[in-house]
Amino acid sequence: MNNHFDPKDIVMDLPRRDARDKLLGRTKYTIDTGGSDVLHAVLLRAEVPSADIKSINFDKARSMPGVKAIATYEDAPGLHGLGIADTPIFAHDVIRYHGEPIAAIAATTVEQAQAAARAVEIELVEQDALITMADALADGAKLVHPNWSDYQILFEGAERKGNIAWEATVVRGDTDEAFARDDVEIIEGCYSVGRQSHVPFEPRVAVASYEDGRFHIQTSTQVPWTVRHVVATVLGVSDSKVRVTVPAVGGGFGLKFDCSLEPYAAVLAKKTGQTVSIANTRKEEQMTCLCRENAEIRIRSAVTKDGEIVGREATVLMDAGAYGGEQVFLSTMTAHTLGGNYKLGSIKLSSLVVYTNTPPNGAFRACNGVYNTFALERHTDEICKKIGMDPIEFRKRNVVGKDDLGATGQVFEGDVIGPMLDKAIDKYGPHEEKTLPDGRLYGRSTTVGTWFIFVGPSAATVNLNSDGSATLVTSGVEIGQGTMVQALPQIVAASLGIHPDEVIVKSADTDASGKDLGVGGGRTTVSIGAASAAACEEVRDKLFSMASQILQTKAEDLVLKNGRVEIQGKPGSGTSLQTVIAQCEAEFGPVSGSGSFTNPGIPAMPGCAAGHFIDAIDIPVHAVHDCELAVDPDTGHIEILSYRVVQDVGRALNPRAIHSQIQGGVVQGLGYALHEEITINEQGAFDQQGFEAYRVPGVLDVLPVEFELHEGAPSCGPFGVKGAGEIPILNVGAAVACAVANATGEQVSHLPLTPPKVLNVIDGEQGKLDFPYISSDWKSNTVRFS
Amino acid sequence: MGIRLKINDEIHEFHGDPRTSLLNTLRDTFRLTGSKTPCTEGFCGACTVFIDGEPAVACLIAVGTLEGKKITTIEGVATDGQLNPVQQAFEDHDVVQCGMCFPGMVMTITHLMKNNPKPTRDEVKSAMTGNICRCTGYERIVDAVMSVQAGGRVAQ
Repeated sequence: MNNHFDPKDIVMDLPRRDARDKLLGRTKYTIDTGGSDVLHAVLLRAEVPSADIKSINFDKARSMPGVKAIATYEDAPGLHGLGIADTPIFAHDVIRYHGEPIAAIAATTVEQAQAAARAVEIELVEQDALITMADALADGAKLVHPNWSDYQILFEGAERKGNIAWEATVVRGDTDEAFARDDVEIIEGCYSVGRQSHVPFEPRVAVASYEDGRFHIQTSTQVPWTVRHVVATVLGVSDSKVRVTVPAVGGGFGLKFDCSLEPYAAVLAKKTGQTVSIANTRKEEQMTCLCRENAEIRIRSAVTKDGEIVGREATVLMDAGAYGGEQVFLSTMTAHTLGGNYKLGSIKLSSLVVYTNTPPNGAFRACNGVYNTFALERHTDEICKKIGMDPIEFRKRNVVGKDDLGATGQVFEGDVIGPMLDKAIDKYGPHEEKTLPDGRLYGRSTTVGTWFIFVGPSAATVNLNSDGSATLVTSGVEIGQGTMVQALPQIVAASLGIHPDEVIVKSADTDASGKDLGVGGGRTTVSIGAASAAACEEVRDKLFSMASQILQTKAEDLVLKNGRVEIQGKPGSGTSLQTVIAQCEAEFGPVSGSGSFTNPGIPAMPGCAAGHFIDAIDIPVHAVHDCELAVDPDTGHIEILSYRVVQDVGRALNPRAIHSQIQGGVVQGLGYALHEEITINEQGAFDQQGFEAYRVPGVLDVLPVEFELHEGAPSCGPFGVKGAGEIPILNVGAAVACAVANATGEQVSHLPLTPPKVLNVIDGEQGKLDFPYISSDWKSNTVRFS
Repeated sequence: MGIRLKINDEIHEFHGDPRTSLLNTLRDTFRLTGSKTPCTEGFCGACTVFIDGEPAVACLIAVGTLEGKKITTIEGVATDGQLNPVQQAFEDHDVVQCGMCFPGMVMTITHLMKNNPKPTRDEVKSAMTGNICRCTGYERIVDAVMSVQAGGRVAQ
C-alpha cells in the first residue's frame, strides 16, 4: 500500500511516562522487591586471586540459624561464554580471580546468610597470580586456564593459545611494502588505559522462584534473552524452562549486558522451593564490576608528506580478566574503531584478548571504541606533528567518505564525518593560540570518532485494543535511556495515527515477547523500532482493509490520523478507530500485528578478517568532539572550559532525550578521561571499593555540553534512525587527551589523566611509554601469523 | 517498648535492633522503598530524607537515635498526589533517566528552595554536591531547578 505516514510525525519531545513515579519514589526496581516474604542469598567469594581448592566444609554453615540452602558447582556445572564456553558460575577446583563465587547461601535474612558464608571452611593452596597482561604473556607464564584447548568453541574461526583467549586480525593490502617506501615518515606510538567501572545506582540483583517446573527470574538486566539462555545452560535445562521478566532498571551502561547473579537465585529457588533474592553490596558490585577493560596498544603508521596514510599496523592487548566474556566479541571492534575514521592504503590489526587472574571485564558504553579512539586520535595528532600538517586539515583529507573502504574492505555509503567536521569548525571557529591570564596552559582539540549500531534480532507484537489504544509487546528494557517510553511509543503512535500516551508498552517478559538481543550498542530504537514499525504495518493493512469496506473507499486513499481512519485530504470524512476495530473484532477477531528485524550483515572484503564476529558494521555512527581546557602546571589539575559535540543521529526522534544522552554520556567520558581510576593490588583486587575511592563525576565537575545533531546520514534503521545513547562517550578520552597534549606540547599516552599523571605528561614521561612485549614487528605479536 | 517515629505524618513504632539504619528501617520494616541504597555509606545522597525538616542521609543514622522525630521521605513530599514544584520541574523538563538518584535529588532541592526560593545556578550546584547521579551529567537537572518560579509551576 502506498498510504504511508510522514516520518516527521514521529518526531517530538515526548516526556517520559515513568518520570512521575520515579520522582515520587513509587517505582519498584528489582532491588525494591522482596521484603520478608523472600529468602535472601549471598555469595561466598574468593579472597585470593589464584589458588587450588583442596577442600570445602559446609557442615558448620549448614547448621547456622536461618540457613535454608547452599549451592555449589555441583548444582550448576555448565560452562558459558561468548565465543568460548570458558566460564563456570562457581569455582570448582581452581580460583581464578579475587571475588570469584565459590558457593551461594540462602537464609531467612541477609545477615544470617552472611554469617553462614563466614562459617564455611575452605582449604586452599595459593598459587602465583598473573595480575597484568605482561605477566600473562611472559615466557613460561603459567596458564590461567591450563585446559583452554578443551573448551567448547561457540564461534569458529579465531586463533587461541594459552593465555590468549581470542585473537581477531585484519589484513588488507601489503603494509610491508608501504613501510618500505622511501617517501613516507614512520610514526609509532604506545598507549594505555585503565579500567572504568559503570557504577549503576541499582546494583546487579535478581529475584527467582521455581513454579510449575520452570524458573521465573525477575532481574535488573539489559539482556533478558541472554539471561534466559545462560541460566538454562549452566543449570542444564532447556531455555524454555526459564522465564525472565524485567521491571525498571536503575542504570546499566553495559554492565548488565551479561548474565550475572540470576543463576544463583534460580538454583537456590529450586533447592528451597521459595522465592530467593540476591543482590550485590556496593563493595561487591565495585570489586567484581565487569569493567571497560584496561588495554595496551601499539600503532605504527607510514604516512606521506602530503598526509596520505599508506600503511598502518596495530596491536591491541585487551585484558579479559579471568574469563573471556565480552572482550572476545569486542576484539572484532578494533577493526572498526582503530581501523576506522581514516582512509588507509594497507592495514594489519590484531586484537588479543588476554587472560589474567583479575576480575573479568565486560561491556561499557561504546566499549573498546572509547580507548581505541583515544589511541587513534592521539596517534593522528602525532602524525600531524611529525609531518608538519595542521590536524584539522589532516583529518579533512583523510576521513572516510562515500565509496571509501573501511578496515575490512566494507564500502561506506555516504559522506558523513567530513561534513560533520566542517560543521564543528564553522560553528565553533578555527583553533587559535590562547594564553590564559592565570598562567594555566590552554589547549583545544577537535577529534573524530567512528562506532557502530549493534543491530541483530528483535521482535515486536502490536495488539489493538477496543478503545483505540495499542499495546506494544517486546523484550526491550527501560534502563534509563528512554527508548521504551519515548522513541518506541512515538514510532507506534505515528504509525497508527494515535497519541503516544495511547501506546501501552509492556515491560520485558520472555514468555510474552519474541527473541531479542538486548538493550545495548545503541540498538533498541533501531532494531526494536524496526520490528515495531513492521508490526504496525500489519495492523495498518488490516485496519485499512476493513475501513475501505466501511467507508466504501479504496484502501490506498485512507490514512490514520488523530485516532481516526480518514480519507486522505478530507479530515472528518472517515470514522473512528474504535468503529473499525469493533467491526474487525466482529468479523475476524481482535487486530494484532507482528514484526521482526535483523540485518543479515553487509559485505566486506573476503578473507580480510579472522576471528571476527561481524565482518563489517551495519550502521556506522560518527561523532566530532571539540574540547577546550586549562591545565594547571603546578598541580596537574585540568579544568574543562568548553565541550562541544556534533553527533550523527540519522534522524532525531526525540531531540530533547538525545540532549540528555549527550550530556550524560560526555560526563561519563570526562570521568574516564580525568579521574575514574582503578588500580589492582597484589591480591588481585581493586583498591577502589566504593564511592569514596572511585571518583565518579560530581555536579561541580561538569559543565553544559553544547551540541549539534547531524541528521540524514545513511542508516538501515527504521525512518533512518541511529541509536544516540551510546556514542556520546566515544571521543571524550580522545578529545581531552589531545587537548592536554596541545596545552602542554607533550605527548599524552595514558588515561585517566589524574593530576599526578598530568604532571607526568608535563615532565615528558608519557612520550616514553613502551611495551617490550608488544613488538614493532606486527606479525610476531599474533598467533595466526607468527 | 519500641522506638516511636512519625513517618510522613503517621505514627509508627519500630521494635527491632536500635542500631538498624533509618534507611533499612524505612525500606525493610515499613516497605518505604523510595529512599534508595546505591552506596549505604553516605556518599551518594540517594537516601536523603528530612529529619525534623532537615535533610540527612538515612543510611548513616541509627534508628535508635530518632525517638519522637518527624521523618519525611520521598513518599511524603507530594500532597494529594500533586507533585511539588521541584518534582514538577523535573517531570516537565524530562530530566529523569534511570531515576534512582532522584528521590535524593528531590529532597535536597526541595529543602534548598524552601530556604532560598530563588537560588543562583552556583547555589543550586553547591546544594547538589552530596547527590551523585551516574546518568544525567547534572546540568539539565540544574536547568530544571532554575526554571522553578517561587511558589508556582514551572516556566518552560
